[in-house]
Amino acid sequence: MANSSDIVLEIDGLSVDIRTAGGTLHAVRDISFSVKRGETLCLVGESGCGKSMTSLAIMDLLPKAATKSARRLAFAGEDLSRAGKSRINALRGNRMSMIFQEPMTALNPAYTIGNQLVEAYCLHKKASEAEARERAVFLLGKVGIANAAERLGQYPHQLSGGLRQRVMIAMALMCGPELLIADEPTTALDVTIQAQILRLLADLQQELGIAMVLITHDLGIVARIADRVAVMYAGQIVEEGPTTSLFNAPRHPYTQGLIECIPVPGRTEPGGRLGVIPGVVPSLVGEVRGCSFRDRCTKAQQACLDAPPVRETADGHRWRCILENAA
Amino acid sequence: MTALIEAHDLTRSFEVSRGMFKGKRTLHAVNGISLDIRQGEVLAIVGESGCGKSTLARMLLGLLPPSAGAITLEGQDIRSLGRKGMARRVQPVFQDPYSSLNPRRTIASIVALPLEVHGIGTAAERRKMTIEMLDKVGLPQRFADRYPRELSGGQRQRVAIARALVMKPEVVVCDEPTSALDVSVQSQILNLLMDLRRELNLTYVFISHNLAVVEHIATRVAVMYLGRVVELAETEALFKAPRHPYTKALLASVLTPEPGLGIPDTGLGIAFPDPLNPPSGCPFHPRCPERLPQCGSVVPQILRDENGAVACHLHGQAPAPH
Repeated sequence: MANSSDIVLEIDGLSVDIRTAGGTLHAVRDISFSVKRGETLCLVGESGCGKSMTSLAIMDLLPKAATKSARRLAFAGEDLSRAGKSRINALRGNRMSMIFQEPMTALNPAYTIGNQLVEAYCLHKKASEAEARERAVFLLGKVGIANAAERLGQYPHQLSGGLRQRVMIAMALMCGPELLIADEPTTALDVTIQAQILRLLADLQQELGIAMVLITHDLGIVARIADRVAVMYAGQIVEEGPTTSLFNAPRHPYTQGLIECIPVPGRTEPGGRLGVIPGVVPSLVGEVRGCSFRDRCTKAQQACLDAPPVRETADGHRWRCILENAA
Repeated sequence: MTALIEAHDLTRSFEVSRGMFKGKRTLHAVNGISLDIRQGEVLAIVGESGCGKSTLARMLLGLLPPSAGAITLEGQDIRSLGRKGMARRVQPVFQDPYSSLNPRRTIASIVALPLEVHGIGTAAERRKMTIEMLDKVGLPQRFADRYPRELSGGQRQRVAIARALVMKPEVVVCDEPTSALDVSVQSQILNLLMDLRRELNLTYVFISHNLAVVEHIATRVAVMYLGRVVELAETEALFKAPRHPYTKALLASVLTPEPGLGIPDTGLGIAFPDPLNPPSGCPFHPRCPERLPQCGSVVPQILRDENGAVACHLHGQAPAPH
């Protein structure tokens, strides 16, 4: 067992509320998880389930209309849930960093990639520009960019989508972070490039012992890269567990439904019917009661009107359902 | 199966400006494609972004004239059919149901518009046909007088499908119809497309980058690379025994939800080539793990045999045309 000092990120009871014209939207509702050194946790879920809001809350980058609360939001043992701006600024981009989905909008088009790569390093590490450039060249090489020194003088528009995403990864690694949050890092890319970028991320994460939170809607990515998986639905983590256990024996009806929805060669009959999850995601505006999946669940009962219990197996597989095993 | 649509040596180029003081350059988005679309099949067109699959789709719809080559529909050149004649028989479903529906029209009027344009029926008859069509795609009548903004992504895509089918076309060209949707919605739309195909005896051209979806839904697959079809085969044969190294790499990069398999190494270099400056010889040779000495200089001829077609030096030369 890993000892507690290995825990890089520990979240207990995180909620994010967003003020809207129609009332308060409970985007993230009381979620808890932790990530260890060298571990990859995937947050998976469909649009609007709160997975991106969770990552923005950790990085303290929430939009103005959103407020977060948490019993504990600890990075490397230090509770940041009530930390001030300056403390967050000292950590963000330094010991904790983030890769965004769309490298086209996350890079500044008016600065060379060299400028953008060295900025945080000079700031956080009090390094000279020459030292920072040296590290940038080293990291660009590491993420597989040829003639890295030359690339430093280029602008984002001169690079392809795959190269820009590699630059984003290099940038996130500049200060040697202990925590890396990657929000849909390959969604905008072609499948061939996606495989390469994920391989690269996984290799670097292993090599550098980074704790990684990878956010995606793609169960294929999850199965291949995650050590543990947390499935989000309507702002809650409805199931969490080791990857193999979660895919081979999903416990929550939503997870089971999601896995049934995707065509898998050999499992689904070509041209046959795919599984469906009937209905739509409930509104998270105002008070949300009971199991949020009950309206779409084929196994729903009267008892689902109350908050479902959290069940747990010995291997740390947890789910929120009135059923011991819905399969 | 008989060919419904035939494309003969189809080419489409665009003039691309390179900046204020530089001249224009020619981009060959589609570069000499010949293929047939057979009655009742689901022909998938796959490839990376920039390979020309959407340009090909727009030409097949008659929305974009080819620079060279021709398209025939049951032997008749589509130029002689005209825009309206074409629209009666070939209809599109686009990727983004948020931008492909007019936000200021009700669902019923969006679906009825093709009927109106073609002067089919009275207003009451059109309304009846529209309601029937909405019912077929799984939207109850109460949706008829709503606006697109009141609908979810999946419901909007159902509207787009209803609009495409209301003219009773023979061919539907679906350009990434599910890539903007969540997986639970994607499966609903794929099920619907398969049901409608059986019920209405439709032929689909299905453009997608999602190979798991393609394997599930297609009967034949055309793999495109830099404006060319590099391999064409029945779905089962293509997924079981891909012949072109590019097809192999594409299939290797599919991440199926099977834990423990890790992330595959595709063996491709990083860069998709600049379509404005395509490599000489076989356009795939700079990334190809199996390249031969002649690949950099000689464009491979397309070999057509009983298994389909492949354009690769590893698979022999086609006999010289007589």
